[in-house]
Amino acid sequence: MTINPYHDKRLQWVAYAIFFALLALVPILLDDAFLLNQLSTFGVYGILALSLSLCWGFGGILNLGQGIAFGLGAYGMAMTMQMQSQDIDTNPIPPFMLNNALESLPMIWEPFWNTGTGIFLAVAIPTLYCLIFGALMFQARVSGPFFAIMTLAMLSAFYTVFIDLQPYTNGVNGISPPMPLEVGSLVVDPYSTTSYWIVYAVLLLSTVVAKLLTQSKFGLIVRAQNNDPERVRFLGYNVAVYETLIYAISGCMAALAGMCFTFLTQYVSPSQFDVGFSISIVIWAAIGGRGSLLWAIMGAFIVQGAQSYLGDEFLNTWILILGFFFILVVRFLPGGLAGLVELILGKLPNMSKQQKSPGEKPVDKASLKEA
Amino acid sequence: MDPSVVLSALVLGISIGSIFLVAALGLAIIYGTAGVINMAHGELIMLGAYTTYTLQTFLGVPFFLCLPLSFCIVALVGIAIERLLIQHLYNRPLDTLLATWGVSLVLMQGVRLIFGSDPKYVQLPAFLSTNLDLGIVNVSVFRIFVVLVAALLVFATWYTFYRTRFGIMVRAVTQNKEMAASFGINSGKTYMLTFAIGAGLAGVAGAMFGGLNIVLPTMGMSYVVEAFLMVVSGGGSLLGTILASGFTGQMQSIFAFIFNDTFARFLIFLMVVIFLRFRPQGLIGSGDTRR
Amino acid sequence: MAGVLEIQNLQKNFDAVKVINDFSMDVIELTLCCLVGPNGAGKTTTMDLITGRQKPTSGSVTFRGHVITGENEQMIARRGLGRKFQIPAVFRELTVRQNLEVAYSHEVNALKNIFSFSSRQCDARIDEVAEQVGLQERLAVIAGTLSHGETQWLEIGMVLMQDPALLLLDEPVAGMTEQEIEKTADILNTMKKTKTLIVVEHDMGFVREIADIVTVMHMGSLLAQGTIQEIETNQQVRDVYLGTEDH
Repeated sequence: MTINPYHDKRLQWVAYAIFFALLALVPILLDDAFLLNQLSTFGVYGILALSLSLCWGFGGILNLGQGIAFGLGAYGMAMTMQMQSQDIDTNPIPPFMLNNALESLPMIWEPFWNTGTGIFLAVAIPTLYCLIFGALMFQARVSGPFFAIMTLAMLSAFYTVFIDLQPYTNGVNGISPPMPLEVGSLVVDPYSTTSYWIVYAVLLLSTVVAKLLTQSKFGLIVRAQNNDPERVRFLGYNVAVYETLIYAISGCMAALAGMCFTFLTQYVSPSQFDVGFSISIVIWAAIGGRGSLLWAIMGAFIVQGAQSYLGDEFLNTWILILGFFFILVVRFLPGGLAGLVELILGKLPNMSKQQKSPGEKPVDKASLKEA
Repeated sequence: MDPSVVLSALVLGISIGSIFLVAALGLAIIYGTAGVINMAHGELIMLGAYTTYTLQTFLGVPFFLCLPLSFCIVALVGIAIERLLIQHLYNRPLDTLLATWGVSLVLMQGVRLIFGSDPKYVQLPAFLSTNLDLGIVNVSVFRIFVVLVAALLVFATWYTFYRTRFGIMVRAVTQNKEMAASFGINSGKTYMLTFAIGAGLAGVAGAMFGGLNIVLPTMGMSYVVEAFLMVVSGGGSLLGTILASGFTGQMQSIFAFIFNDTFARFLIFLMVVIFLRFRPQGLIGSGDTRR
Repeated sequence: MAGVLEIQNLQKNFDAVKVINDFSMDVIELTLCCLVGPNGAGKTTTMDLITGRQKPTSGSVTFRGHVITGENEQMIARRGLGRKFQIPAVFRELTVRQNLEVAYSHEVNALKNIFSFSSRQCDARIDEVAEQVGLQERLAVIAGTLSHGETQWLEIGMVLMQDPALLLLDEPVAGMTEQEIEKTADILNTMKKTKTLIVVEHDMGFVREIADIVTVMHMGSLLAQGTIQEIETNQQVRDVYLGTEDH
């Protein structure tokens, strides 16, 4: 039997190590604060693509509303940062609320006085939302395209509500906290290496967690239910629980990405809930390769990199080309660039032939579709 | 409560319901027949609106003639999408959804490049732009017109799918493709025609929505989410979609009266989520379709 | 001898059609019971009703003293009831080994499974089962590329991995060659020493080789029950079933 090096578990970990080593070199070699900030933002997109690949590529749960968890996380962080520049005695109410004729701080804003609580809520609320929504849908055995549509509907609902609740969210204008995030004595200046390293750490952590998840028994069952949920049920597993968990873990990662996004841009608006943004997340993962965590991240880097390289004047044409490219990938290359690499590596002369002595228990290297 | 308030909420509800229905009709027949969730449906509506705008502004075609012409032109676009893309993806439902999503992006962006992002307007004949005073309630004539067209389209669709030879073929293919094929029914062609009709219905919807609202490249999005919810909660059938549209239209009108439009929209979405929790097969439909 | 599974007055109506009509049967521990009957007799529906895939209109199913009617699929499976489907259902994108690993469902708690990476008991059990169904050389193969017969064996293997007390096998030899059928008969004859089995089958030759008891269904009801000799000499059965089936 030929062995495709793409499927070699050890080589996969090596590829991940090289990837993250290269990313670690960036702030050492780069001396441009603006570019560093932009690259950090790409890192945030990478986390998003990774989170979607985990849920969609492995679990078969297409989430068209990944922007919900991202946006909730981003708003949570923005509220925390906003409250850091308010003073409980002299100036307790953010300016935009005063403009909207609010006379006291709304209840939902109160916990954000405390930075720790605020950061906790920024992760906890989106994760909890995913748990509740996921449990509702998956217990009713809503899956596949229907689930995708329901996520889209919820996204649309969040978008309208965040615009509508102007006194609490500042509507379409969004929230722009005046000062960078401060955690204890650490100031997270968006244009500093500090913020790059935070994003780097979150990306690294998410990737390792995701990779371990896919290799655990849990991950195997998630992949199995992607193949045939009914069969898994007849083996005694509660498929809804597995679906809900993978969906919520993916949402939790997206929330972390949203929080990073806010301290990088010091700005959040309902456009995080815009359908267009969630489409982008799907496009990153699809072009990179939904079945591969690493390639999904690369997909985000490549697409967003090309977009910023081409600049704003080409934006409309670029989106058109991207749309065509996306259609072509879905039609001819469902595995994305990762699928292409897998194909090419499989055609290479058999490099790792017969590493094992015959008679040894065969290790299922062909088992891993992921990289 | 003042009876006239209730009545006007009721009338408004019928009007909203008819708009939902017109938007969802094409989607419902494509889903009901081929099992395809056409994410580009909203953009087909948008194309219908732009078709009407173009025909009116540059060729001086009267509004009433624009309706059938929009049907034909958008139906042709539908055929192109089906032949080039969807026919290769029939057994991959999630990929069909994604591919049509890509199509929606391309259509939206293409129209934006050609027509720009500024709003366009569809001119209505003078008598449609007036209001009708029914004593206690005051209704725009165009909204009544939309209700009438919705009824006409529903009847035509029902007739096509339940009273013609084509309809029998469509239903045969829907139930069992292989069996239908053995009786000499070309399922590919049936799907293509269904897709064309569904797209054409979106075109008519667009022509009318152009009269209700401004015409923008992004206008499709605002209709398509509700349209999907109508089809899903209706269970994918024609009757289910009609019932869901009618009911949701009333709820939207009532909630909008109590709260406001956006919050009403949010409540409707929540209601659909909760409804699906207890009846995932929708109002009308068997549980198996979802598996 | 105790009845492992007791079906009492089972009834399933689809609209006005009575698919299962007042059907009762007992399955005795450590026997292999073959469920036979012409197409549309309600065999697969009975399987669905036992395993919770469909809910009966009335009547009850008792498994090891517990009434299981109304429970969902995973609850019934956890009670020790394994099922092989008529159309072989394996995870086509996973390897044979992974298929068996998923089927090793001693721990169904999702949170615990997040932290579970490999288990010696599971590996040992996989080797054991793979040998039993003759797939020990094929563990690294993607299940979607297996031959039809191998897929059937894999699914039987998966049910074995579950270690159920009762196995329901829906047409385990459909589409198999003569040699494959023979091998399957050997597998089942070994299995029935430690397990209780219900096998839905059309092939009377195969039934003769494996069955301890044969239950004949007709139009959703019990027609006859007995040893294969009793069934083959039963005139009623000959009329409705054996007469129409060519074998």
